[in-house]
Amino acid sequence: MTKSTLGLCAAVLILGWTLDSPLVRAGDASAGSDVFKSECAECHSVKQGRNKKGPSLFGIVGRKAASLPDYNYSDALRSHTDWVWTADKIHSYLSQPAKQADPGTKMKYDGLSNAKDLDDLISYLGTIH
Amino acid sequence: MLSFLHRRAARTPDKRHVWSSVAALVLLACASTAHAIPVYARQTGSACADCHAAAYGAAGAGPNLTPYGMRFKLNGYTDTDGNGTKIPLAAQLTESHSAPAKGVSTTNLTEADLYIAGRLTDQIGGYIKVEADHVGHDTYNTKLSTVDLRFVAKELKLGGKNLTLGVSVNNSPGFDDPISILPAAMSFGPPGGQGPTGTFLNLSSANSPTNRVIGATFYGLYDANWYGEVGTYDSLPRSTQDHLGYNISGDPGKISDTGYFRFAYMKDLKRQFFSVGVVGLTTKRELQRVGPADDLTDLGYDLSYQFLGNRENIVQVSYVNILEKRKYGSTFESPTVPGLFASSRGALHDETLSVAYIFKQSYGVQVAHIESNGTRDDVRFGPYGNPDTAANLFSVFWTPFGKDDSFTSIANMRISATWFRFTRFNGATSNIFGVPLGVESTKPGDLNAFTVSVSAAF
Repeated sequence: MTKSTLGLCAAVLILGWTLDSPLVRAGDASAGSDVFKSECAECHSVKQGRNKKGPSLFGIVGRKAASLPDYNYSDALRSHTDWVWTADKIHSYLSQPAKQADPGTKMKYDGLSNAKDLDDLISYLGTIH
Repeated sequence: MLSFLHRRAARTPDKRHVWSSVAALVLLACASTAHAIPVYARQTGSACADCHAAAYGAAGAGPNLTPYGMRFKLNGYTDTDGNGTKIPLAAQLTESHSAPAKGVSTTNLTEADLYIAGRLTDQIGGYIKVEADHVGHDTYNTKLSTVDLRFVAKELKLGGKNLTLGVSVNNSPGFDDPISILPAAMSFGPPGGQGPTGTFLNLSSANSPTNRVIGATFYGLYDANWYGEVGTYDSLPRSTQDHLGYNISGDPGKISDTGYFRFAYMKDLKRQFFSVGVVGLTTKRELQRVGPADDLTDLGYDLSYQFLGNRENIVQVSYVNILEKRKYGSTFESPTVPGLFASSRGALHDETLSVAYIFKQSYGVQVAHIESNGTRDDVRFGPYGNPDTAANLFSVFWTPFGKDDSFTSIANMRISATWFRFTRFNGATSNIFGVPLGVESTKPGDLNAFTVSVSAAF
């Protein structure tokens, strides 16, 4: 086996590990836009300042939970003063029913069980800022 | 028992009566009958397109509610963005140009509507429409249109599954249905036009109960998929119908022992939706409010499918099939054929198939086939003893606003062009009114009409 072949194998392994890492959500943001439209858009807008039944998701990745001043959050979400919507936090939250992730929440969502859709969605949300 | 007027119609077809009925039905089908109103958009922060595939109500027989819109209706119109109380008022104006195949083309402000609707509390909400219809010579008739007031208990649990329970007080059997493809909710149905040729659940039938009855139904949604509803209705007194703006010639009669049920399984797959349902209504009706009652029993089923995808290309298909069995309280002899009596029993059958395609929740086309058939009765159904009618609707429409990215979320507009086409009327494809030889006859196509409408809601 040549050095270049070994190098290529190593690169593939590193890439595979990176894509599989829970720290990075390597989804397809373009596909995530479609996931957003079918799963989220009825209750959430990505437009800044546009709250629907749920708060605007503009700049959601990295935002502190219950931090929009013009949205009336549930007491349950307000109580999570240490929650920040990182990609991993969003992943954890959306991969289960909302009432299970945050008992007392106003959000009515059964969770997104398709792992690819979830990664795509989070990648898309990461572009909204 | 048939009314004197209907018996007369059955014996000697009154062309004016039929033409006016047909005109009314065509307008009913083509004019705006929006159920989506900006009040709800303001209340929820949602776009019209979130609840309506074409971003503007159920105008002209559809398109249908989205699954999200169905949930909003099931929740008693109470969902909110939680951002304060909104004024529960909206209005709609509709200007239409109608070009019938025969007759004079007209352009009028055909309808002006006021809506009082929305959330009163977290458990009480409703929908009330007051409608002013153009009736000619720059005059308008104002009437109390559809009413649907609800009390709902949300987020209950039964066996670990979600349960929603509610009560709807409404004036039109089927209007309150969440899937909203039953005739009363579609505001569209088989054209009857002469006598009671359609089923009782068909709002196009003569003496339809639509908006002339009052009733209460109890409904529940279990596990987000299973819907059940039972209720009863009573007809409003003629004097009340008159006060509410209705001509008493359309009185549905005195109804009693009325039962209504609806069961459906509906599945929201986010990118797709389908439903399978059954509906039934049974009543005893005294059309003249005295004398023997007719027993009417409607039983129907319906299917619907929606491809929603990412909302760029939406397809909606719905099919409704309702059979009505009638046991007449009395029979009578034909005035022209001695010894020939009206049947003591009969059956009527309504079918509607509708297909709609909507691009970018803005541009759409809809095609519908509508049929109403009945058992032969030479005395009750003139001139041929056959009430069968068939029609098609072709509609294209454009809704520039009503989406998330529209420049306004407090107003909406819809432009539509609709061709309503009859292929059979009174069971005939020619000389549909049975006029004698030498007299100009009427073909079903002579009842066709082309309508262009512009509706604005704010």
